[in-house]
Amino acid sequence: MPAQGVGLSARLRQLWGRLASVQGVTTAVVFIGCGTLVLYPILFLLLESFNTGDPVAFPPERLGLGNYRDLALDLHIVGNTVLVASLATIMAVSFGFLLAWILSRTDVPGRRLLERLIELPYYMTPLVGALAWSILAGPKNSFLNQLWRATGGQGDLFNSNTAFGIAWVMAFFEGTVAFMIISPAMKSMDPALEESSRILGRSKLQTMLGITLPLVAPAVLGSAVFVFAEMLGSFAAALVLGLPARFYVITTAIFESTFSYPPEYARAAAMGFALFGVMFVMFSFYRRIVSRGVHTTITGTAFRPRAMAMGRWRWMLVAACWVYVFLAVVLPLAALLLTSFQRFATVMVRESVFTLANYRTALQLGPIRIALMNSIFLGVSVATVGVLIMTLLVWIIYRSSVPGRGPIEYLIMFPQAVPRMVFGLAMLWAWLNIPVPIYGTLWLLALAYFTVLLPLGVRTLAVVVLQIDRSLEECARMCGASWAYQLRTVTVPLLRPGIIAAWLLIFMASVREVGASIFLMGPNSKVIGPAIISSWMSSGTELTAAMALIQTATVLIALVILLRSVSMISGESQW
Amino acid sequence: MSAQVIALITVLVLAAGGGMGSVAMAAGAGSAGGLCASPQTVHGFATCADIPAAEREGAVIIYSPDVEQGTAKTLEAFHALFPKIGTNYVRLQTGALYAKIQAERQARTYVADVLNLSDIGLVFDFEKRNGYQRYVSPQMAAYKPEYKSQPEGNWTWGSVNIGGIAYNPKFLSGDQAPKRWEDLLDPKWAGVVSVKTTNSGLQHFVWYMLTKELGADYWQKFAQQKPHAFDSYVQQFDLLVNGQDKVAESAQYSGYLEYKERGAPLEFVLPARGVPAGPEIWGVITNAPHPNAARLFLDWFLSPVGQKPFLQALHMHSPRTDVAPPPGGAALSSFRLLLPSDWQDFLASRTAFNRQWDAMTGRR
Repeated sequence: MPAQGVGLSARLRQLWGRLASVQGVTTAVVFIGCGTLVLYPILFLLLESFNTGDPVAFPPERLGLGNYRDLALDLHIVGNTVLVASLATIMAVSFGFLLAWILSRTDVPGRRLLERLIELPYYMTPLVGALAWSILAGPKNSFLNQLWRATGGQGDLFNSNTAFGIAWVMAFFEGTVAFMIISPAMKSMDPALEESSRILGRSKLQTMLGITLPLVAPAVLGSAVFVFAEMLGSFAAALVLGLPARFYVITTAIFESTFSYPPEYARAAAMGFALFGVMFVMFSFYRRIVSRGVHTTITGTAFRPRAMAMGRWRWMLVAACWVYVFLAVVLPLAALLLTSFQRFATVMVRESVFTLANYRTALQLGPIRIALMNSIFLGVSVATVGVLIMTLLVWIIYRSSVPGRGPIEYLIMFPQAVPRMVFGLAMLWAWLNIPVPIYGTLWLLALAYFTVLLPLGVRTLAVVVLQIDRSLEECARMCGASWAYQLRTVTVPLLRPGIIAAWLLIFMASVREVGASIFLMGPNSKVIGPAIISSWMSSGTELTAAMALIQTATVLIALVILLRSVSMISGESQW
Repeated sequence: MSAQVIALITVLVLAAGGGMGSVAMAAGAGSAGGLCASPQTVHGFATCADIPAAEREGAVIIYSPDVEQGTAKTLEAFHALFPKIGTNYVRLQTGALYAKIQAERQARTYVADVLNLSDIGLVFDFEKRNGYQRYVSPQMAAYKPEYKSQPEGNWTWGSVNIGGIAYNPKFLSGDQAPKRWEDLLDPKWAGVVSVKTTNSGLQHFVWYMLTKELGADYWQKFAQQKPHAFDSYVQQFDLLVNGQDKVAESAQYSGYLEYKERGAPLEFVLPARGVPAGPEIWGVITNAPHPNAARLFLDWFLSPVGQKPFLQALHMHSPRTDVAPPPGGAALSSFRLLLPSDWQDFLASRTAFNRQWDAMTGRR
């Protein structure tokens, strides 16, 4: 007994010693903080999904399973959602992988410019793509159908108001994130493996499929899971293109049911949890694949990133990139620019009356200016603070031996698995019901953005962490570096491409955010995403086009200034 | 018809549980018993509000479903007269707005001062929940009894929306266009007609009144046209302008005037049987953080001085008879308006409307 007692107390002392260390305290704070931010609203949501009583009473007055039973009535909507999300994910990840490979691993000309141009759609509000493609390829008299008929074609060749059309727009305007996740992983690869493959006689295509693809598999899989989840929760394209064709997906059904009277919050919550189940299975699948493989590509051996010489193929590859830029950037922006100068939006150009009034109105609206500034402020703040915390979180999950890191990895993916609009509603109930007066302030939006963007940041950073050989960090520890010193001098510098990518993604996702903001913003904490949706719904396409273009230009200018400042400080060019 | 409507409203309000007795009363002028003893006139309108107190509060916050720039312009006009009172607003569709304010109030968080809802069902519900702060504005005398709560002071119609039929003459000649509501059942409109969703208070009015006028099977037949449903007239009219749709049912007259002003090729049909109309309803709410500024705003808004910039910005009709119609619009008296005569029956029809409409528009 005494021996056992000594053993137990020694183990407890050892555990306390571990917990009381800087690493232990940091881990506990990060786990508890992030866990609370995620779980607290989820519990409110879970409760609401069983509400069979008064829909506006909270907490629910009557509980039951009726909302889950009623999901059977919405099976066609679930089917539409999965179809569109699958199509969009396939397109986005295929485009993302190919473009990342071309621009990171080959010697095509103008790579830097192309990379920036390909990222552009992600800097725009998602409504931009939907509006632009409804003008370009809508049924009947869209620009492309007019062009088709003018060149002798019969009937309507194009119709963006279909599942494929919606997926196409989603892939271009929301799937860019796949490129942004895969690209840093490609850049961090040691080219020695590809070179060996070439020396051993494999073709360039065989090398890409047999060497590059398996090495960036975590990034590709991670982006696929992430993009699929994004597409399940995607809203703008389905709203603009789906509604005219009576084609509903879960988000538009939730939007309609929570934004009408009596609001069907419980139905939305039950739908949210149904999607949560799908995403949980997918995420488990992803985790199993990642945990089985060896994906380290950054090792202690020094290397210089080198591009593969593509010979004559380089011109074909660069042409493919420019076609993508034309379809994803030039054509939609041109259509939107034209619309923004119209007195009333019309695809019949001969009937157009051109004016600057839309820009005047957009710039004169004080609340819109404030909303834009608030969005940029939130984007910078959430991205900066968020990336710091998320880097810590990623290191703890993937590098430490802290107990509970597995469950916390699942936990922080929860916000990704629930449509953001539903999560926004849950956060509204959650934060209104605690005695902290942050409702109606930018603080609440900052907390909401951090929470809903946790999966995005963690996934982006995890991709790079998985590629770093543990031996580099172990070497630092063996040489006597403390945990904090090792993080600062070894881990963070190696993570830099991932950190920059995560910062950009979080910044942009914050500026574009709509779902959570709709419910959480107050009169003194307006943000631009909901303002643009609101403008489309109530003011018309022409004013919305002007607002969206002003937003895009402002965000781009802000980004250039920020990245140039970072470049000047760090001495490395980011833009 | 007016007397009948008043009687029905009175019965309805009394049947609502005698909620009036427990409605929170506004402190100060114009509160408990009715109109204040001596309204003062400022900037051309009479008010019972305590102006120095309103200016000390320094802000008024409106929750409204109206078009963003229209609301901003209206508030700018008020701010120009009272520069010490800052203005701000939250704009959401009526359903979402109501959900937001309900959630806030359940958590005892009070942000809004004045509420505008375009769905009378929500107004009655909010009144039942003691949401309105009773304030009898001196302007209310200019409003018909059926346009305000009984007893007056909780809410008042601030504007009237009219629903008719719209089409684009570039794609549809006048002689081919529908003239009557029944004409919309012609199979030639299948797949090329749009309506609004259940989010629209006006759509509920149209559904209810045409069910009364033409029978319940009207909508069953109309469902075969497989209409597209939108939250706003903006999407309906955009599709007409681009020739994607031929006809818009429940087309909003104010939206038509706005599009016409911008030169869009649209025509509006007023069926001889009449056009359903629905109100936008305004009131000061309980626990408003700026109650004096809210009362001052309501007085201004309900007066001709406030109605004028509001109507110019949003092209709606004023319920007041001494205010001119919106730019380009006919006088309200020239329309044959179809309004519910039994409000309780109208409110009770909401569930049936939602169910039929959602099924018809493919939402469920």
